[in-house]
Amino acid sequence: MDFIKGIFNVLSDPRLFFILGVAALVFMIWKREIFARNTVGYGLLAFAAVFVVFGYFDPNFKLIILKPDNVPIVGLIFLLLFFVWYSIREGVRNDRRIAAGEGPIEKEESDRVWVWPDLVYTELISLIICSVILIVWSIVLAAPLEQPASASVTPNPSKAPWYFLGLQEMLVYFDPWLAGVVLPSLIIVGLIAIPYIDTNEKGNGYYTIAERKTEISLFLFGFVILWCSLIILGTFLRGPNWNFFGPFEYWDTHKLEALTNVNLSDYVWVRLLNMGLPASILLRESVGILAVLAYVFVLPVILARTVLKHYYERMGSTRFYVGAFLFLMMMSLPVKMLLRWVLNLKYILAIPEYFFNI
Amino acid sequence: MAPKKSVGHAYNIDFLNVVFAASSIFLFISVIWMVWDDFDREWKNTQRRFTQLEMEVTRQEIAQAEREVDTFELQRLEEERASAQVSVDSNQEILDELGSQVDGLDARLYRETQDYQFSKANYDVDRYEFEVERKSRGAAAVEEQQLAIEEQAREVEALNLIVEGTTAELERLQGEISGYTADRDAAQTQIDEMLGDQRRLQDRLKNIAPSLGKTFLLDAPMTDFLAPTIKVQQIVLPNIHDDVNFMSVPKMDRCTTCHLSIDRQGYEEYPQPFRTHPNLDAYLGSDSPHPIGEIGCTVCHEGMGQSVSFRDAVHTPRDDEQAHEWEEQHHWEPPHYWDYPMLPVGMTEASCAKCHREEVFIPRAPELTLAYGTYERAGCYACHKTQGFENLRKPGPNLTKIKSKLTPEWVADWIREPRAVKPATWMPQVWYNSNSSSPEDAARNEAELAAVVEYLFDQSEDYVPAVSSPPRGNAERGKAVVDQVGCLGCHVTEETDRAAAGPRRTFGQPLQGVGTKTTYTWLYNWVRDPKHYSPETFMPNLRLTDREVADVSTYLASLTSKSGTAAPVDVDQQVVDDVLLGYLKSLMPSRDAEEKLGSMDPHAKQLELGEQAILRYGCFSCHEIKGFEDAQAIGVELTEEASKLVTRLDFAFVDIPHTKLAWFTQKLHDPRSFDQGRVLEADERLRMPNFHLSEEEIQRLVTAIMSFQRNVQPRAALPPETARNEFLSVGRNLTQRRNCVGCHSIEGNGGDYVNLVEEESLAPPPLTPEGAKVQADWLYAFLKGPISIRPWLDVRMPTFGLEDDHLNGVIQYFQAIPGQVQPFRTIEPVRASNETAIGKELFELLRCQQCHVLGEIPADQPTANLAPDLRMSPERLNPEWIDDWMIAPLRIQPGTRMPQFWPNHPKSDFPHFDGDGDRQIRAIRDYLLTFEGGPSPN
Repeated sequence: MDFIKGIFNVLSDPRLFFILGVAALVFMIWKREIFARNTVGYGLLAFAAVFVVFGYFDPNFKLIILKPDNVPIVGLIFLLLFFVWYSIREGVRNDRRIAAGEGPIEKEESDRVWVWPDLVYTELISLIICSVILIVWSIVLAAPLEQPASASVTPNPSKAPWYFLGLQEMLVYFDPWLAGVVLPSLIIVGLIAIPYIDTNEKGNGYYTIAERKTEISLFLFGFVILWCSLIILGTFLRGPNWNFFGPFEYWDTHKLEALTNVNLSDYVWVRLLNMGLPASILLRESVGILAVLAYVFVLPVILARTVLKHYYERMGSTRFYVGAFLFLMMMSLPVKMLLRWVLNLKYILAIPEYFFNI
Repeated sequence: MAPKKSVGHAYNIDFLNVVFAASSIFLFISVIWMVWDDFDREWKNTQRRFTQLEMEVTRQEIAQAEREVDTFELQRLEEERASAQVSVDSNQEILDELGSQVDGLDARLYRETQDYQFSKANYDVDRYEFEVERKSRGAAAVEEQQLAIEEQAREVEALNLIVEGTTAELERLQGEISGYTADRDAAQTQIDEMLGDQRRLQDRLKNIAPSLGKTFLLDAPMTDFLAPTIKVQQIVLPNIHDDVNFMSVPKMDRCTTCHLSIDRQGYEEYPQPFRTHPNLDAYLGSDSPHPIGEIGCTVCHEGMGQSVSFRDAVHTPRDDEQAHEWEEQHHWEPPHYWDYPMLPVGMTEASCAKCHREEVFIPRAPELTLAYGTYERAGCYACHKTQGFENLRKPGPNLTKIKSKLTPEWVADWIREPRAVKPATWMPQVWYNSNSSSPEDAARNEAELAAVVEYLFDQSEDYVPAVSSPPRGNAERGKAVVDQVGCLGCHVTEETDRAAAGPRRTFGQPLQGVGTKTTYTWLYNWVRDPKHYSPETFMPNLRLTDREVADVSTYLASLTSKSGTAAPVDVDQQVVDDVLLGYLKSLMPSRDAEEKLGSMDPHAKQLELGEQAILRYGCFSCHEIKGFEDAQAIGVELTEEASKLVTRLDFAFVDIPHTKLAWFTQKLHDPRSFDQGRVLEADERLRMPNFHLSEEEIQRLVTAIMSFQRNVQPRAALPPETARNEFLSVGRNLTQRRNCVGCHSIEGNGGDYVNLVEEESLAPPPLTPEGAKVQADWLYAFLKGPISIRPWLDVRMPTFGLEDDHLNGVIQYFQAIPGQVQPFRTIEPVRASNETAIGKELFELLRCQQCHVLGEIPADQPTANLAPDLRMSPERLNPEWIDDWMIAPLRIQPGTRMPQFWPNHPKSDFPHFDGDGDRQIRAIRDYLLTFEGGPSPN
């Protein structure tokens, strides 16, 4: 039993967790024929259910999942699994039909709209069922009223509302102005911009994967990996002092983690060139500045001329560069995470004098 | 998808119907559940149970009231009423006729009164309009209206006359009727008075009894918001605040929702939550200093007053057993969400300090007083700065002249394990504690210990005793003196434990084994004049004769004990070097430290190490040590320790509940236990010494710590700042801190000496009434130079040598207790021959002299009966007090042997002054005031 718990504790280390998540995503898209099977879908749900039940008997895990704040997230995990699987399954089925020349199933009966009684009736039933759930929930699970707030004793860990925990996780890798202001704004702007960038009409109104494989992969990476899994990580695996804890580990406030990260300038000047940091900020951070500029301005151009040439040609330069910028911004998080894990890199560009760190 | 698709449905509608029906049923059930869940509260059932109890108690009260009724008297009255009724009946026709006339008049009067009132109302309106009109247009313009108004006033007056006429007529008729019924009505009124209590109680019983209307309408789910009989009770306290970190808000206590009879007598024997508060005189009672409407509950008991659930109110169980019981009955769990859980019953007095903080020692709080006594004796304040305990003397003896008193060997063996030498000592154990007892630590301990001793003796000044070769005395006689004159009020000589002796008898150093400790010469000189060796000592002068001094010293020198615990290992220079190097490295870079070490000779190393060790362990906090005059106390400040949140306490690897109480208890039990399981360098370890406290002492100290709270209560909650309160608080602190309470009981505290004598009357007198009793001038003189008031007592009042400032503090305190600040005055007894003569006669009749001394001590009386010399009266006693004393001696001094000669005061059993008790007492008093020549401190 402890051995199994130990395995899960190890697997949920943020690095492994992230890498396994990406691997699972790749596998899911690649071997989607297997993934789309009913046995796999229900099997996944069953596995999650068994895991929760198994974990319930562990006092530490039980504390986390039964915390009134966290109960909805446990439910949402099941919904997430189900709907990802469901959309893949529907996509796979349609792809088969399209390949067989039948067209997607949604187009089959496009002459009819089932409003009454089908839509209205099911909406009514949904309303009733949701009411029942909310009422029972509110009776069984009392509101988490805690002790009077105090400025000198903040909760440890201090956690954002669950839907912001992905953002809070980003704070581990970026300064607040980036993780809390720039990147969230770009997420919203990016989501608004998608229809204007992605003008591919394939897949409108029906499920498909084969026709929009890149777009779906990108979206799933952004949504499932960067957003949802970071929420799960933030909810269940981050304990006191925002330290990482396995799901079956005791949240010990005194646990220590060595924070021995260094900046890119340290790498360049101190470790590579074996000299002190230059006094001039510009000189000191020149490598970082160049790296950031290259990432934002040079990389899209290179991409447009090489790997993504056909996208560039299809989308036109404006769409391509806006899209590439948004994509690179999204990728800045995994890039920074990798750099942190592999090189203990704290900041690429560090000007604490002006509170400007990237 | 589904087979019905062909007829135009995406789903199977029959199936949806079933789902709809099922979900609707669930919705219905969940709504009912919701209403019930909202309705079904713990406290409602408690109130229902209370109703049953209240009815039972009321029935008992009714039965009691019935028993108290004089049945013969009742029967007599009923017969009287019956016979009167007969005569009423015989005139029934006349009465009927009169009755109908009254009815007619009543109707008429009603009509006429209404006419008058309406007319008056109209008149008032018109008059107002007229006044306004006249003001704006001038008197000339409104002449016509004026006439109308006057006419109207006459009409109103006429109507009033009619009303008055009818009223008079009605009264006349009623008088006529009562002429026939007066006897019966009088009897009825008397019966009603006799049965008044009973009827009132019966009405109450009816009111509180449950009924269908209450159950199914007023208290039913959904309708119970209108006028429920079962409802939350709350006390809002604008002057007492709850500290919720960002602000303090008025307290709101809902405890009485369940503790319904907490302030009502009659429920003392019933189980909680219905039991009456055990001390209504001091708390909650409307006449008490803390009425429930002004003080509430949680300001003293803590816990969350706003909650009406057992668990959320944060009750604290007495012990594990009760905790288990509560877990089963009330789903109790250890508190998580309220920072101030209820105090255990024995510690509630800690909360007194919330409002009485400035006073430090508080009356009616014996537990807290003992707790503070223990806190001071243990010297906690010396290392831990604490508000209210600043600028006190150092709790340990002065070590600047240690050379003349002790030997280095004795000191080393003593500090290794002080309690092995003197079980009653407060000296804690600094070395060989739970984090320094491993075999590897022994060498280090010994090195530090030896260095500290060497430092102390090296720094010691010389002391030249006043008597260098003192004479020997008789140990037996010395023991008698020590046992009798009062030494034992502050000192322990017997082999008793510290906890058994208590804080008051360990006020002075325990004398266990003092003969082994020091030399006869030193002892003699100390007993002879303690201030010669230590000018700042609190030890008073007991006015011993030279022979007594020799006897006492000889006796003390004969008190021997084992001289302490020997060193388990020898220390070599290498260990000293290592330990000292460790200290030096924490002060300077390693290389400098090594250089410095290399430059020192062994003696210098010892001194340096001794100094560092004293600095680290804070010996200087309790003892005067040369070289540490300006050193800072080593402990954390405790002024607001009880307000510290649990998260600020480090529980490390010690497996105890995460509560403040548990942490404080553990810390006192083994101060260094939180080092358990940690990897620490020597200088990172905890250093609080171990006092080896008993459970009782720990409980007291935790009570003291729990009383050290952040001040959040507003000015209005605190006792008023009056001169009297100031005198009281200064005096209380003085009498506690000079250990007056070791011998005397004052305001219910102390008087422990009574346990050392055979009989209460042989102990030093209780001093609560002292301010009312004696004259200020006399008391001042007495305190400066005590005289023997009861020469037959062995115990003596010592000469404390207090300064005038302190003497005035004591005197003002005693006067403030009864609230009598004495003015300057001349006491003139009435010397009219007649009065004093009768006074003398009574004095002899009552045989006052049989017990009271008048120059000579009455020979045939047992000492317990003897009473002070009355010749002191004019100079010593307050005349009013003499009166009060003679009227009711037991009220002033419980346990006194003075008889009460006027049990029926002001009536008297003696014939003088026509049996006027007051005049008799005054005459005796005046006779006493004519006495002269008694012993006088002046």
